[in-house]
Amino acid sequence: MTLETGAFWGLAAVLLASSLAVVLTRNLFHSVLYLAVAIVATGGVFLLLDAAFLFGVQLLLYAGGVVTIVVFAIMLTERLVGEGIGQTSRYLINGAVVSVAVFVGVLLFVGQAPLPAARRPLGADVTRALGELLLTRYVLAFELLAVLLVTALLGALYLARTDE
Amino acid sequence: MTSPLRDLVAAVVLLNAVIGLVTYVTLLERKFAARMQSRIGPYRVGPHGLLQPIADALKLMMKEDVVPARSDRWVYNLAPLAFLLPCLLIFATIPFAPGLGLADLNIGVLFFLAVSALEIVGLFMGGWGSNNKYALLSAMRGVNQIISYELPFIFAALVPVVLSGTLRLGGIVEAQRGLWFAAWPVVGQAAFLAYLVAMIAAENRAPFDILEAESELVAGFRVEYSGMKFALIQLGEYAHVLATSYLGALLFLGGWLGPGPAWLGAVWFTGKALVVFLLVTWVRWSFVRIRVDQILAISWKLLLPATLALLLATAGWVAYRGGAGVA
Repeated sequence: MTLETGAFWGLAAVLLASSLAVVLTRNLFHSVLYLAVAIVATGGVFLLLDAAFLFGVQLLLYAGGVVTIVVFAIMLTERLVGEGIGQTSRYLINGAVVSVAVFVGVLLFVGQAPLPAARRPLGADVTRALGELLLTRYVLAFELLAVLLVTALLGALYLARTDE
Repeated sequence: MTSPLRDLVAAVVLLNAVIGLVTYVTLLERKFAARMQSRIGPYRVGPHGLLQPIADALKLMMKEDVVPARSDRWVYNLAPLAFLLPCLLIFATIPFAPGLGLADLNIGVLFFLAVSALEIVGLFMGGWGSNNKYALLSAMRGVNQIISYELPFIFAALVPVVLSGTLRLGGIVEAQRGLWFAAWPVVGQAAFLAYLVAMIAAENRAPFDILEAESELVAGFRVEYSGMKFALIQLGEYAHVLATSYLGALLFLGGWLGPGPAWLGAVWFTGKALVVFLLVTWVRWSFVRIRVDQILAISWKLLLPATLALLLATAGWVAYRGGAGVA
């Protein structure tokens, strides 16, 4: 077993355990911390696949941004309001059935294509290639995403406005 | 490809060098602040107080470790580590001289920004786990402030990236061989200034230290920490300031470039980083704390639009001059 395979299985175990902990922990704050672990572990998987740029973006946006905002929301609602909000996991069995079904579906889909025996090393500068593709071939999707984000921002502003 | 063993040894050496440097940076700050206030500063322990950081470290190690009774124990105990780790990890990508560094990643700047953003996780773990109102308020302010100043910080740091056309820290230094980015007319100075302001805010230092605000919040999110855990948090904080100073020196002041033989590069670089550190310290000990709403207004109404415009202008200019890597 090479170092890389070992690292992958280690990361996979951490990722699975922390993801399960996110949904199964009763304490909402702990749940967010597990989410942070899961996000960093996902970044690690990207790193193993030579996608260092994605690793950086994953950490910056999700661990640094999303988790922070979720924590902010929890802090604002729970401790300052004064009553604990536990996480309830209703419909556990239904959820498990759906996730197993999705997992099997993905597995069957992926299984149709034979996986390459060895990963080819990436030669060129991935970051540059990503930037070029985003602004040439996928520019429409890229710009649409920007429009979507602006819409979300405006929506948030509309919801958060003070009534006068 | 280097062997894993060599990397391990290099990492241990770097880690200890960083911790040693950070320990003495605290003494530098205390001496500097003392001089600004016409005091002498630490003087009794060792000649000119040179052994003071060692004495402080020993004292903190021997202190009793108090854990609040109704704290969230795991979160409380892990918070100092979660805070310290990213702060030390960011040193891994800094090249101290050509070829002298752990890993000169080709996403260097992004790695630095991404990993240093993880610091916030340790911060709110500490604030939450302590089960203390002051700590919680402080952590909330911290989250608030760091979200607000992360974007201007990133935009300011991206100006040298756009000018040099690479995210690799070594490449950015090499691009400054002719002229340091801080010396570029208008763009360079404006970006450096924005970088410094955003850095002070991101490090939660006065005048942006509402997070600590000793007159209202006692000591901020670390109020319940004592002994070694307090030391770890303090170490992380100073390591982060130092790393950001190194990044500033690298992005704007030409990193290891300087006269003299090549081996002097690391010395030049450290000297420049300390200059950035002292600039920040100078501001810290000169100004009073500003209010929360003022801090947020500076970020969202001034710094963010200004850095965004600066970045766009730089990018436009680089494109006009014919693509990436003008310098």
